[in-house]
Amino acid sequence: MLSFAQFLDLLVGGVAIGCVYSLVALGFAMIMRATNIIHFAQGEVMMLGAMCALTSLWLIPALPLVGVLAVAMLSSGIVAMTMELAVYRTLRRRRVGLMNVITATVGMSILCMNAARLIWGSEPLRFPELFASQAYSFAGLRISAQLFWVMVMGIAIMLALQLFLNHTRTGILMQAMAQDAEAAQLMGANETRMTAYTFGLAGLMAGAAGVMLGSMFFAFFEMGFITGLKGFVAAILGGIGSITGAMLGGILFGLLETFSAVFLSSAYKDGIGMLLLIAILLFLPDGLVGLWQRRS
Amino acid sequence: MGSSVCGSGAPSTTCVRMIPKFASEVRRVLANFGIGTLVLFGLFVVPWIETDKFILHVLSLIAIASIAAMGLQVLLGYSGQLSIGQGAFYGIGAYASAILTVNVGVPFPIALLLAGTAAALASLLMVPITRLTGAYLAVATLGFSILIYLVLKNEEWLTGGSFGFIGIPRPTLFGFVLRHPMHSYYLCAGVAALAYFLLARIDGTRFGRAINAIRQDADAAAASGINVTFYKSQCFVIAAFAAGIAGSLYAHEVRYLAPNDFSFWKSIEILIMVIVGGMGSLPGAVLGASLVVGVPELLRELGDYRMPAFGAILIATMLFGEGGLAALCRGIARGFGAVLGRIVPSWQPRKMLP
Amino acid sequence: MSDAGSDALLEASGVTRLFGGVRAVDDVDFKLRRGTVHGLIGPNGAGKTTLLNVIAGALALSGGALRFCGHDMARRSSAERARMGVRRTFQNVKLFADMTAVDNVAVGLHASTRCGFFGAVLRTPRCSREEHSIRERCIEALRFVGLDGRAQTRAGALPYGHRRLLEIARAVVAMPLVILLDEPAAGLNEIEARHISQLISSIRDAGMSVVLVEHHMDVVMQVCDEVTVLNHGRRLASGTPAQIRGNPEVIEAYLGRPADTPDARA
Repeated sequence: MLSFAQFLDLLVGGVAIGCVYSLVALGFAMIMRATNIIHFAQGEVMMLGAMCALTSLWLIPALPLVGVLAVAMLSSGIVAMTMELAVYRTLRRRRVGLMNVITATVGMSILCMNAARLIWGSEPLRFPELFASQAYSFAGLRISAQLFWVMVMGIAIMLALQLFLNHTRTGILMQAMAQDAEAAQLMGANETRMTAYTFGLAGLMAGAAGVMLGSMFFAFFEMGFITGLKGFVAAILGGIGSITGAMLGGILFGLLETFSAVFLSSAYKDGIGMLLLIAILLFLPDGLVGLWQRRS
Repeated sequence: MGSSVCGSGAPSTTCVRMIPKFASEVRRVLANFGIGTLVLFGLFVVPWIETDKFILHVLSLIAIASIAAMGLQVLLGYSGQLSIGQGAFYGIGAYASAILTVNVGVPFPIALLLAGTAAALASLLMVPITRLTGAYLAVATLGFSILIYLVLKNEEWLTGGSFGFIGIPRPTLFGFVLRHPMHSYYLCAGVAALAYFLLARIDGTRFGRAINAIRQDADAAAASGINVTFYKSQCFVIAAFAAGIAGSLYAHEVRYLAPNDFSFWKSIEILIMVIVGGMGSLPGAVLGASLVVGVPELLRELGDYRMPAFGAILIATMLFGEGGLAALCRGIARGFGAVLGRIVPSWQPRKMLP
Repeated sequence: MSDAGSDALLEASGVTRLFGGVRAVDDVDFKLRRGTVHGLIGPNGAGKTTLLNVIAGALALSGGALRFCGHDMARRSSAERARMGVRRTFQNVKLFADMTAVDNVAVGLHASTRCGFFGAVLRTPRCSREEHSIRERCIEALRFVGLDGRAQTRAGALPYGHRRLLEIARAVVAMPLVILLDEPAAGLNEIEARHISQLISSIRDAGMSVVLVEHHMDVVMQVCDEVTVLNHGRRLASGTPAQIRGNPEVIEAYLGRPADTPDARA
């Protein structure tokens, strides 16, 4: 059995990685709501943000955390918007079949992953120390500074997103667009712009996730693949298309994964996510949010 | 045929009338014996023309890949189920065959069939997943194939794990060891031709109609009494069996297995073969396999740019048409025919001179 | 109107279907007698297509019971019901656009035939014979609806009226006990609608029983033996076409005011 200190470690670790998954899941959820596509390349968007942030740190070693975060979020946002404007919008205009759209996003994923490998190489890259001290202690408990700040950043960004979506004109228009595109256009929303903003927002989230993940582990060209997949699991755990669901799903999934890795073999840690994915798709397709809605 | 008639000073109209007759003769011969026979003949003759061992090896790999691609074609092009998990069954087939021949001493032909069967049995685990559609199905198959990959990588006692599985013997048929690349080429091409022949027969049958209907409108198919899950699962089993067979041939061709060869990327490669070749077209699957396997091997200079190029190709194919190479070839053939028709007007019967 | 229900092929009692809080179908009783054409009419939103979907198995029952030839249908999938002898057409014609007309109809015979993957691939004699007989029956079905000249045309290329006929051919080819037709005359002109009426009569004469959801009143009045009117999900009235036509409640439901009071704008 676990000691309290170990339990706390796992809890903090789980929530921290959960925040990463939540941010990626939010991207999936927003894009899903707006365009009905599952964006296979979302993980790669995250990865590119992490890589750009790392590069900026190489160029400007004294860059503060806020700056690193900003670089990552901006780069990912731009990448995502480019994907939408260059490729996905054309596909939608041509009314290309679902299979083709999915394949195109898979192709995009491959392209980005391998472009990153060409640019940054295949070796995993370490992030320099982003946080001053190694651990905080209060009330006799120690928490890793890194994990602490990851949690804080994650929650802050998610709150900011909620504020944006619910209290700014653009945010409300985006939500309207996702629910009823025609009506929103009649109210003055420009579909191209709104969809581009959606992708941009999803990219911002992913970029932050990339920095967080990179600082916790490594940055390398394939990091987006499995994390993207887990972000997707989190999104459907919460209920695909639900913003709140994505946030909750991510944290829950992070906790689930962290705790089960202790009790089961850690070699199969990724496998837990895959099993969960299949189980959710089969038995709980509407996710937790759907479960809640059905109860009430 | 026409020269003496023409040379004897007969009016040129007789000559001109001979050409369309010749054309229809050729057409009749082709129709009766089929393009298929020509292709088979061509396949048979290749090693006598091209004796370079490396090229024969590549051709064997193309044949192996096309078996897996044709299986996926049935799953994706015919029944409309996007599976990004074929690499897992390919891997199961490869390792099963290796384990059976090396550790258990099973003769190759039986190991080949058992490998396909093992993959087919594993695909039965997918039956619950066939309820899903579209991207959800794709992601579920992806998750499934990652699970299989993890097993292949971690269970070292069975598969050798990351150290790889070495010492796989060459294929042997009835005691005869297929030592020369030409022999294994005949084996692989032969199995591929057989697979093509069998799968091509699905068209125009009750089974083919059922899965075609499911692809186009599963609700209407169910309303006509089709058990949708049953047929969808069958397609998974067929595709897995094909991938398993291909995996077994691959194991005995390269004679060394590493789990990384059977990861997500392998599934994507097989998918690209089908997509680039043209969804719904069996010959397209073969063309796609030739492109995906053949081009990088023959253009090693591409090196690191191979995969980004594939990503770009996938995107471009989706932007410009889903018919893929098969539709391109058909288009070229049609265009060719139209151009010919203009150069030699009398190829078109209506335009016969009096 | 209460006949002995001994020849009731299809019996819905107290059928209810909810969508969230909305009672799309509310405690409806419905009986299809053998050898009859039973019309199901009502203003838009009355629940006709929903009821049809419940009978066909596309939607689950929220309450009540459904029996077909005495068998309880509540737990059976739409494919099972189709195999038992309940076939249907759809409000927005659902054909297999990439297949030829004759192949579309052949799908309708799927449940009556048996060749599977191995039979297909090995072309066993039994399967070849079966395929041959399938083809013959399909041509017959196409002739029955008047489409035999279009057998090899791609379904997606057919004009709208022919697509409706093709869907009926697919439903009819297996000679099921019950056919559910969802607005077969929608969007058709006078001539086409009359052809549909004749076709439905022929279907009945061939021994099949029909549930007909329709807005085209001419078709309903010409061809139905019995009519049920729905309004707001509830059964308003049942009877012969003549009875329904004169029923004041029915008229009010359609027109929105009592039938024999003058326009009062006092």
